[in-house]
Amino acid sequence: MEVLVNLASGFVTCLSPYNILMAALGAFLGTMVGILPGLGPSATMAIILPITFGMDPTPAMIMLTSLYLGAMYGGSTTSILVNVPGEASSVCTAIEGYQLARQGKAGTALGLSAIGSFFAGIFGMFALAFTASTLAEFSLKFGPAEVFCLVLMGMFTIIYVGGKDITKSLMSMVIGLGLGTVGTDMVEGQARFTYGVSELLDGIDFVILVMGTFGIAEVLESAEEFMKVEPMRVKFRELMPSLTEVWQCRWATLRGTLVGFCICCIPGSGPTIASFLSYGLEQTVSKHPEKFGTGVIESVAATESANNAAVCGAMVPMFSLGIPGSGATAVLLGGLILYGLKPGPLLFVEHPDFVWGVIASMFIGNVILIVMNLPMVPLFASLLRISYSLVYPAILVVCIVGAYAVASGLFEVGMMLVFAVIGYFMKKGDVPAAPMLMALIMGPMMEKNLYQALNLAHGDLSIFIRRPIAATLLGVIVVMSVVVMSKRVRKARGTVQEVEQ
Amino acid sequence: MRKADRIFGVIGLGIALWSFLESRKFHYMAQFTPGPGFFPFWVAVTLGLLSAYLLFNTFKRKPSATDHKKILPEAHMLLRVAAILGLLALATGLMKLLGFPLTLALFTAAVLSFLERYSLVKSIAYGIAYAAVTWFIFEYMMTMGFPKGFLGI
Repeated sequence: MEVLVNLASGFVTCLSPYNILMAALGAFLGTMVGILPGLGPSATMAIILPITFGMDPTPAMIMLTSLYLGAMYGGSTTSILVNVPGEASSVCTAIEGYQLARQGKAGTALGLSAIGSFFAGIFGMFALAFTASTLAEFSLKFGPAEVFCLVLMGMFTIIYVGGKDITKSLMSMVIGLGLGTVGTDMVEGQARFTYGVSELLDGIDFVILVMGTFGIAEVLESAEEFMKVEPMRVKFRELMPSLTEVWQCRWATLRGTLVGFCICCIPGSGPTIASFLSYGLEQTVSKHPEKFGTGVIESVAATESANNAAVCGAMVPMFSLGIPGSGATAVLLGGLILYGLKPGPLLFVEHPDFVWGVIASMFIGNVILIVMNLPMVPLFASLLRISYSLVYPAILVVCIVGAYAVASGLFEVGMMLVFAVIGYFMKKGDVPAAPMLMALIMGPMMEKNLYQALNLAHGDLSIFIRRPIAATLLGVIVVMSVVVMSKRVRKARGTVQEVEQ
Repeated sequence: MRKADRIFGVIGLGIALWSFLESRKFHYMAQFTPGPGFFPFWVAVTLGLLSAYLLFNTFKRKPSATDHKKILPEAHMLLRVAAILGLLALATGLMKLLGFPLTLALFTAAVLSFLERYSLVKSIAYGIAYAAVTWFIFEYMMTMGFPKGFLGI
């Protein structure tokens, strides 16, 4: 009941004309980002983030969350009409959606994906409100020892659940932790790894790293060679699926929504994993699994519902525990820090207007998106005809502005370029940048809590085992590691046996 | 990917060694708590072990399909990427001298004209348009305080 009251107050906050305008702007930008291949939601949010510095945190965060939701909506348009997924999470939609488009059912596929996304977004918003507030209430009991173990567990989960190659993901994470040590140390106030550069005394700014490794690196990769896309034409009257089709997809939408939300509550699993799992589940429960790949409408509804519910799911650990579940939520978390808010359970106590306003704004964002997306799909699809060669210089210009805005200095712009080169080569070598980004945020948090925990315990390490919650969290890390390592050992043994044979 | 992994392994080992040597300049422990050298030390050790494992694995593992994948794109694509980065670096370097709007206009015009083969007139027109919009939003409306060049803007 209390949650509903809080949610109602959130609606009061987010229903101001300025906040609605910000939600609409975010939704519009997000849809464009989702449609245009080459720039993902994390990169766009990273680029937009410094521009929101001067804004009040609530409208700024409302704009960013609407942008994230919009990117998920928009991703389906390119997937269905051109077979080019604007986002990694839309790959499964492209598999079935494009086949449907070739059969003349592009409008139906787009309509069903929008309806599924809307349902998932609304369900996800309510689920987020209930789950995050309950979890935040529980985590208020956490002291420094628990927070240290929680951050550690969050990092391991991100690697084990989301990482394609665990070694490379771990390396990326450790490098991020290393970058987090740059700056003034909190114990003795010594400057670490600054080499006399005063700009580094406050540490490496998260925005600089994210704009370099996500923003510019992504642009560089897309700018290697341009794709010319020719989208199929869709008329407005074709966009509404029949009631029979909507009814036919009801269970698929519900399954996708549940999978997307639940999976993304676990740090490390983003919308991409959710949509793939949802696609796999649909194939398993389908009476005609052999038809998958030829244009199955339920699969489009399920995967699109999954990646929209995933957006809300990924915000559960971010709001309640202060742990980013994915690259995009890491950017949002970085945003919270930049706006001077302390991520974690205290956010619900210290800034209830902000948290509930942002959560409630996801409802508004979804309403704006369905109104914007259904009638405007033909218009958005025509955006694909704009040459990328005209788009990327504009993105780079905004990146320069963003980096400059961080500290009003050109040093940050130069540092962003260095990270862009690193990010580009990391992409080429299949080394994920997201763990590095998350570690840069969580590293100092980890170091601070380790310091505080040991200080309170007079250097006694057993504090991490004596406190039940901390011990449980450590136990989870050990169990996870054993499971993952045993799988790897088994795989290695299999390979050795194969080679021997 | 095998070659890329080897390169990353060697780079990782290098960073680990450097971080290890640097960490020794700081106290490892304070009275009850870890000192400033604690985190960098463990970062160095962990990164060193992971890099060594990655490197070792490239010699031991069975060849996979991704091993034959080319790490870098064709030379002309790489040249494009290098040119974009070069222009970005040049723009950053010239910003104090030329001022923000002029630098951005020149940067956009250069990208469109040299890399995208737009006509000079079109490139300059787009350059001016992009710079004007950026200047209007970020300098005029948001007063971000960009560097002013010799023209006073």
